[in-house]
Amino acid sequence: MAAPLSLEHLTAHYGTTKVLDDLSLDVGAGELVSLLGASGCGKTTTLRLTAGFLAPTAGAIRLGDTDLTRLPAHRRNIGLVFQNYALFPHLSVLDNVAFGLKQRGMGSAERTRKADDMLQRVGLADLAERLPGELSGGQRQRVALARALVIEPQLLMFDEPLSNLDAKLRVDMRVEIRQLQRANGTTSVFVTHDQEEAFSISDRVAIMDAGRIRQFDTPEVLYQRPSNAFVARFVGFENLIPLTSATRQGSIVHAKGDGGISVVLDQEQLGAVPDRFTLATRPDGLRVSPDADAEGIPSTLGLRTYLGRAYHYQAETPAGHLVAAGPLSRPLDIGATARLVPELEQCCILPAEEAP
Amino acid sequence: MTGRLHPGLIAFAVLVYIFLMGPLIIVIGSSLSDTTFLTFPPQGLSLRWFERIFEMAAFRRTMVTSFQVATLATCFALIIGIPAAYALNRYRVQLPGWLSTLFVLPILVPEIVLGFSLLRSVQVGAGLPVFSTLLIGHTLLVLPYCVRVISASLASFDFSIEEAAISLGSPPWKTFFTVVLPNVRSGVIAAFILAFITSINDVSVALFLTGPGISTLPIQILAHVEQFFDPVIASVSVLLMFLTVAVMAVVERTLGLTFLTK
Amino acid sequence: MLKRFMGWVMSAPATALVVLCLIVPVGATIGATFTTDAGPLGSYLAFLGSGFRRTVLWRTLEIALLTTVFSLLIGFLTAYVVSRAPARWRSVLIIAAVFPLLTGVVVRSFAFLILLGRNGMVNNALVWLGVEGAPFPMLYTQGAVIIAMVYLFVPLMILTLVGVLENIPDDLIQASSSLGASPFQTFRQVIFPLAVPGLIVGAVLVFTGSFTAYATPQLVGGESVMVMGTFLHQQAMVAFDWDSASTIAAIMVVVTLAVVLGMTRIAKRLNPMST
Repeated sequence: MAAPLSLEHLTAHYGTTKVLDDLSLDVGAGELVSLLGASGCGKTTTLRLTAGFLAPTAGAIRLGDTDLTRLPAHRRNIGLVFQNYALFPHLSVLDNVAFGLKQRGMGSAERTRKADDMLQRVGLADLAERLPGELSGGQRQRVALARALVIEPQLLMFDEPLSNLDAKLRVDMRVEIRQLQRANGTTSVFVTHDQEEAFSISDRVAIMDAGRIRQFDTPEVLYQRPSNAFVARFVGFENLIPLTSATRQGSIVHAKGDGGISVVLDQEQLGAVPDRFTLATRPDGLRVSPDADAEGIPSTLGLRTYLGRAYHYQAETPAGHLVAAGPLSRPLDIGATARLVPELEQCCILPAEEAP
Repeated sequence: MTGRLHPGLIAFAVLVYIFLMGPLIIVIGSSLSDTTFLTFPPQGLSLRWFERIFEMAAFRRTMVTSFQVATLATCFALIIGIPAAYALNRYRVQLPGWLSTLFVLPILVPEIVLGFSLLRSVQVGAGLPVFSTLLIGHTLLVLPYCVRVISASLASFDFSIEEAAISLGSPPWKTFFTVVLPNVRSGVIAAFILAFITSINDVSVALFLTGPGISTLPIQILAHVEQFFDPVIASVSVLLMFLTVAVMAVVERTLGLTFLTK
Repeated sequence: MLKRFMGWVMSAPATALVVLCLIVPVGATIGATFTTDAGPLGSYLAFLGSGFRRTVLWRTLEIALLTTVFSLLIGFLTAYVVSRAPARWRSVLIIAAVFPLLTGVVVRSFAFLILLGRNGMVNNALVWLGVEGAPFPMLYTQGAVIIAMVYLFVPLMILTLVGVLENIPDDLIQASSSLGASPFQTFRQVIFPLAVPGLIVGAVLVFTGSFTAYATPQLVGGESVMVMGTFLHQQAMVAFDWDSASTIAAIMVVVTLAVVLGMTRIAKRLNPMST
């Protein structure tokens, strides 16, 4: 039942605007992959192309052994869960769930039994006769899920399915979705703009921007080792520090940048460091040191904000505006000069950015 | 909005409503008259003028014609208006903005000009029979109501519901009937009623498109009033009012009356 | 790909009907006015050159304008009362306005024959009261046509404006009174300006409706109060002068479209809630 999905060199246009640019993606059988990105990045377009509501201008879509590219949407056997649930308002919960089975020509008794079983699994058996309008948001979400699962699709796709729920329910539902998906082993694509949601639920995540996939990997790799500046910023590496030369002593690298920037890195921790690169850190990975002649990035501190575990400082440096963390024990004032020292376990090395 | 109203304003509104209701009450009263001329208050009560309506062939015949034309025109307008309204909402990006204006043109163009032009070009020019031209005229006349009312109910229809049905294996054309139409049912009913009433009351279009043996009830009433001034017209009017009341009861039942202020 | 043209395919029948049976015939009617024996603009010069025809046009404009003004005044004040009435009353009042609206024009105009005739109710009452000179000739006067048309259009105005007034958020009215405005000041400075676009829409409906009316002027005004609508019919069906009828039709279309387009533009500009 589980089939791998493969998107091959998809390009799509809305009118003359290119919204997907030569996108390729492979989702393994039974895997859950999230498409993550801001609105307009092409994630929903990718989903709609796969579902068959849009046609690509170039490229192919394969699911298992079937080429879906030219297949009409209603013959693709893909379960869809919509952002606003898209339940049929004129049909009861049971008829909503049985709808897909009816289209497949299943007899009334059998589809009622199957739909009932499915409602049991999502814990809604006693609401079978209600109309969607009488349900809460979470219940509607479950009906939508049951309706998509009951047709035993080769592929399940979710379009921002949790964004209409409140925060608590959102967390509960994503656990539930993941459990159902695991139990069924259905290949799944999950579209979201919520990073935490994507990382918590997925086997792999594709981070998208401007109609392309910028990086496709496991949540752990994406979070620790982004491969480019876009993904780095996206997962919270706010500080990007360009470095232009490096001298090596064993595994230790001394790297220098403009305006007296000088950092010491350990290749055993960071992997191979090239001569020219960009060092990326999160605010907590850049420590404020009042020690004026130590290695680091010279800076003038600006606004200090209190975050409970540490202070964050807005700092002006030769590498531009950076955010660094300092200990609670020694608050520093606006205007103080300090060195910012990277914490190696919270850094990553990116290829040097092209000169703008 | 609730709050205190000036008593003068309330008195004014009461007078306006008396002004609105009064003439209709007078028509009802006159229809019950026992005399051969129109007068109010009626002198002696009887239902003889209601019986007279059905004794007069011209009224019987035009009533049937009006009913046929109203039913057929409304059905035709719905058959072409529903897909048009659907297209205007579903394919908004690919259709130009003037298309929705095109469908309200029959309201914009004076009815009497439409009637005259259909007589000139279609009935005389193209040689179409009287009844067909009348039917075309009324289909045009009621089309804007159908398109606009159904568009309004499609505007609140979430088209992802349609996509959900398709993703579950329902072919698009079938989805239109099983998922889209049931959800705009109230709009279709409202459009039917508005269109039917508009057609059955129309004077200005039918004025030019009636011929020997074919006429509609309002035209027959006009012709009758110009020759006789007897209570039979009041009785016909009351019959038409009953039709209106019946229709309003249906609207109230299915949609609620607030629908009509939207 | 068929999908790209689906919208066109589905709207094609309705589009075809409007184009073939409305735009083409009405266009032909208007076009015919430029190709009469009298030369391109001859039919219009003839129309404006005739004192009688000029009178009909001015009379129709005058009736339409007065009908609009009276309907606006009566409709707005009544709609204001309806919109502020308690909910139960409000629905009764709305039904009472819808009912006449759904009753045909002929029936409603006919009522005024009973009311205003020489032996009509109003004259009988005046005679009974001993009013000097009664009964008065009331039917077949311009005043009778205006009264009957106001009667015709007030329900439409009430319903249009109740919709507009109910859309004004309560918050605005509360804000206004919290800032020290009296109910009258609130009405004048908050409610009225917000209702202006609705008033314009209503005015356009009434003006174009009364400018092109046929049944009411025919029944209540007769030959002595000839207006554009009745004149068009008379020229086409009695005098069989289709060139003249076409000219009248063309003037009606131009005036109607000018009013609709001009006023909707103004309404759009005045709508304070649009931006």
